[in-house]
Amino acid sequence: MTCEEARKNLPLFLYGELSFDEEEQVEVHVDECAACRLALAREKALFGALDGAEMVPPPELLEESRAELRRRLGLAGRTMRAPGIWDKFREGFTVRFHFAPGIAQVAGAAAMLLLGFLTARVAPNSFLGNWHSAGVLAEPTTSRVRYVEPLAPGRVQIVIDETHQRVLSGSVDDQAIQRLLLTAAKDQSDAGLRVESVDLLKNNSQSAEIRTALVYALEHDSNAGVRLKALDGLKQFADDPNTRQALTQVLLTDDNPGVRTQVIDLLVQRHTEAMVGVLQELMEKEDNGYIRMRCQKVLQEMNASAETY
Amino acid sequence: MDEPELIRAAQQGDQRAFEQLVRLYDQSVLRLATNLLRSPEEANDIYQEAFLRVYKNLHTFRFDCSFHTWLYRIVSNLCLDALRKRKVRREESSVVETSEGLLDRMDTVQERRADSDPERQLESQQLKQRIQEVLGGLTPRERAVFEMRHYQGMRLRTIGEVMGTSEEAAKNCLFRATQKMRAALGDFV
Repeated sequence: MTCEEARKNLPLFLYGELSFDEEEQVEVHVDECAACRLALAREKALFGALDGAEMVPPPELLEESRAELRRRLGLAGRTMRAPGIWDKFREGFTVRFHFAPGIAQVAGAAAMLLLGFLTARVAPNSFLGNWHSAGVLAEPTTSRVRYVEPLAPGRVQIVIDETHQRVLSGSVDDQAIQRLLLTAAKDQSDAGLRVESVDLLKNNSQSAEIRTALVYALEHDSNAGVRLKALDGLKQFADDPNTRQALTQVLLTDDNPGVRTQVIDLLVQRHTEAMVGVLQELMEKEDNGYIRMRCQKVLQEMNASAETY
Repeated sequence: MDEPELIRAAQQGDQRAFEQLVRLYDQSVLRLATNLLRSPEEANDIYQEAFLRVYKNLHTFRFDCSFHTWLYRIVSNLCLDALRKRKVRREESSVVETSEGLLDRMDTVQERRADSDPERQLESQQLKQRIQEVLGGLTPRERAVFEMRHYQGMRLRTIGEVMGTSEEAAKNCLFRATQKMRAALGDFV
């Protein structure tokens, strides 16, 4: 490879977008050519400067954008949600009004009025502690008829269990908030919620409890986005034996190449004897070119064979 | 629910599934639009338009490609249109005149790295300004490919799919963009 070819390929080399062979050629050339090594260093500096120029939208902009989207989708004032029992209950009345006007309509209207009355009475405010309650949504999130009791002829009493949404705001350093986030980070029904919760928790990974939750998410979460966020939070603990063990396991078992790529970049920053066996095992089954290349390079640097016998 | 389940539920009108789907990707969509357009207002416009289109057209999504690719195709087309329109109207400055003097709208957007040393801060400001100028000089396609590769970490193959072109064409585009940036920023780094 000539200097001109090598330099032309430097950006793609840094982006990891060269084929295995091309990458090898660039590496060999750069090892032997001082001028191209300097060019590579300059290219890395340029990349670093460009990294620093990235604009991160402030969280308020994201919140405003989400609120505006809800408004524009006609969902202002409530969270977009799946039809629940409440919807089905209300839908039931709608159908009956449509097909059976008359007495059913009157009974239905009475039941709805009673429901409205009950709803208006529900607003316990006791367990807020230091959090600020930004508002209680008027409409119940879930609702269940507990029992129905006939009263005088033509009248009925209905007892309803309801769950209401409440908006809470507080510092992410607040332990009570962190507990809620830890719970949300395990909510298997909502990957979006887990991504956001882990994203917030990862900045407090000094806490052993949060670190344990991050390790759990990295090892077990079904969503790669959540696993990547958890990995972000664990980066500074790559030397901690427990975290390192979890990272090693993830490197060998995670089905997402993006996750494995980040894990190997993290693990190979420190060469330990224990890594040799792991990397050799990985070489046997890994099909991602970048990861194989990283493996091979580290094994070479450690004077270890890329294969097991 | 995993992503395909979320998509199917949203296609059947499950609003909560749709919201979860939005939340899986909306941060990176806003980030891409902010970096490409360098204007918080325009980034929000792209965010709104993109997700409204997704909402309206989700029933047409047939899993022929990943949802990420489908969404980014919408977002990148909107961004490219906005960049092209801007080229026609002349490149807009992010500085606007307010009653309290000149204000850079991008000051409301956080830089990824902050520096407390005033001298380095000044250098970093100058470099940032120079980078803005250079990015402004790239063609919309070069800029989009660069942003997706450099800041979003997307592979060139995916970028090619998103932009409706080949991996090779995306690679050439990225190559031209980095070449222009090296030529313009060589003295600064």
